[in-house]
Amino acid sequence: MGSYLLKRLFASLLTAVLASILVFLLVRMVPGDVVAQMMGQAGGENAAGALREFFGLDQPIYMQYLTWITNVLQGNLGNSWTRGLPVTDMIGPAFLVTLEIAILTLAVATLVGVPLGILAGIYENRPLDTAIQTFNILGLAAPVFWVGLMLLVGVSAVIGWSPPLRFVPITRSLSDNLSILILPIASLGLLQAAAYSQFVRQNVVSALNQEYVRTAIAKGVPIRVVFFKHILRNVLIPIITFMGLILIQILGGTVIIESLFALPGLGRLLLTAIETRDYPVLQGALLIVVVSAMVVNLVVDLTYRLIDPRVRVA
Amino acid sequence: MAQATSSSTPSVPAPLGTWGKLIRTARREPGLVLGVALLVLLLLAALFPSLFTSQSPIGVFIDRAMQPPSRDHWFGTDDVGRDIMARVIYGTRVTLAICAGSLLISAVIGGTLGLISGFFGGWTDQVLGRLVDVLLSFPPIILGVIITGVLGPDIINLVVALSIVYMPVFFRIARAGAMSEVGKTYVEAARSIGVRDSTVLSRHVMRNVLPLILTQYMILFPLILQIQAALGFLGLGVQPPTPDWGAIMEQGKDYILYAPWISVFPGLAVLIAALALMLVGRAVQKRMDQR
Repeated sequence: MGSYLLKRLFASLLTAVLASILVFLLVRMVPGDVVAQMMGQAGGENAAGALREFFGLDQPIYMQYLTWITNVLQGNLGNSWTRGLPVTDMIGPAFLVTLEIAILTLAVATLVGVPLGILAGIYENRPLDTAIQTFNILGLAAPVFWVGLMLLVGVSAVIGWSPPLRFVPITRSLSDNLSILILPIASLGLLQAAAYSQFVRQNVVSALNQEYVRTAIAKGVPIRVVFFKHILRNVLIPIITFMGLILIQILGGTVIIESLFALPGLGRLLLTAIETRDYPVLQGALLIVVVSAMVVNLVVDLTYRLIDPRVRVA
Repeated sequence: MAQATSSSTPSVPAPLGTWGKLIRTARREPGLVLGVALLVLLLLAALFPSLFTSQSPIGVFIDRAMQPPSRDHWFGTDDVGRDIMARVIYGTRVTLAICAGSLLISAVIGGTLGLISGFFGGWTDQVLGRLVDVLLSFPPIILGVIITGVLGPDIINLVVALSIVYMPVFFRIARAGAMSEVGKTYVEAARSIGVRDSTVLSRHVMRNVLPLILTQYMILFPLILQIQAALGFLGLGVQPPTPDWGAIMEQGKDYILYAPWISVFPGLAVLIAALALMLVGRAVQKRMDQR
């Protein structure tokens, strides 16, 4: 385990460094000169030169990267070019919003998806399974922003309620915060529940087809005991692994859902930074997203090894 | 699956005609039949949109703006009076062509690099594998948002972004496929009689890996469609007045509580297309797994 952990950590670190270079280069693919775009028609060559020097754009690109990454490693993501604030101060609150959405969405997806998947697997090819599978495939096919829009329209048409327009952080008022988040979380959560349920169903079905499960049923072990002792135990490991995948899906999904419901999370920060060509904010937010996804993957990988003795030996 | 085998084993099947076979498939795999039927309909709409509507997808009629669905405009009209149904129907070609083309580029480039990487191994494999890991560390939609956002909204940039998003997946599939073929006797035999590596790769290995790539293409198609629509919805994809499902929804976003029909129908189109592709993709994958 120890040597595996070291190897895995080293690989993640290397990927993180390469990802940071990619992030840096991606942001710099912008066609045309950013400074010229910022200044428009106004200002002469001198002013533009001064601005370029101020932002460090007169340096060769590898120097710009080294300066940036050195600061990043010291916890300094630079200052926003459009708002003058330290990037860390902007990303902090945004990250908390996204984290809250992600955790609540994961909870909805797990609480809805896992039981549905288990039921569908146990009742394979019966009407209940067909109904759940229909939900699954519709959920997988539906675009998240469309479901969000439909919930918005549906809820306002049926009970005449629409969520408040201004975001309230969870620290100020839990009820106000949740009333804003309920629709975005419902739309993201239900779709991810469909993916989860689909996955759990497959695992339950294949567990049910194992020889030892058939033997247990055939020799008269009560179904409940078979379920908890043999099936659930085997299905639990993939369920946990899949949680990580779902979490990464949610991380991507928040970009869309935050933009739709005007929530001040990381995704929205990313989009605003793209629109305003705010390099430091864009790089910072992107780096946080990528590192978060990497940490999720790492944690899943390690948990998997910790709980499944078969993987540990191999 | 268990049901299918148990129902077909007991009696020797009588020879069936074309219709009999079709009915049998329909009974066994209703999902596949529904998927194929929907796909045929979508293809017809993409190729011959004028068969389905007589309205123009870009004709502006301010006096008919924001009309709810009616006999003249089944899906209603948008904020400048364009017919939503015509826009959705004409959008089929734009949306599906962009997705199919981008995914094809991913498959060709990702698949070729994966084949080479898996077949030859060594340094090439190390470097390419690392690069792919890096790309895979981005959630797909975020990669799409960043590339289109940075390059600017434009159809070419959209295709570039969409083809990069799933390239790593094709790379991995092709690489794994090539690696498992390399160890086989026929490769050794071919090499031992002096066939050049490039010939073994292009003649034999590729032929065996191609089905894997095609299956993956079908599986990823609905996913790329959703990303394409999401980018359109964020204003990073196809720009109006070109009809595109995501872009129509972007336009309807601001009127969602007053004129929900602008967003309802293009979203439904995305859902139906993704559903059709998923149903067919699943059936294809099932066949591949059985082989």
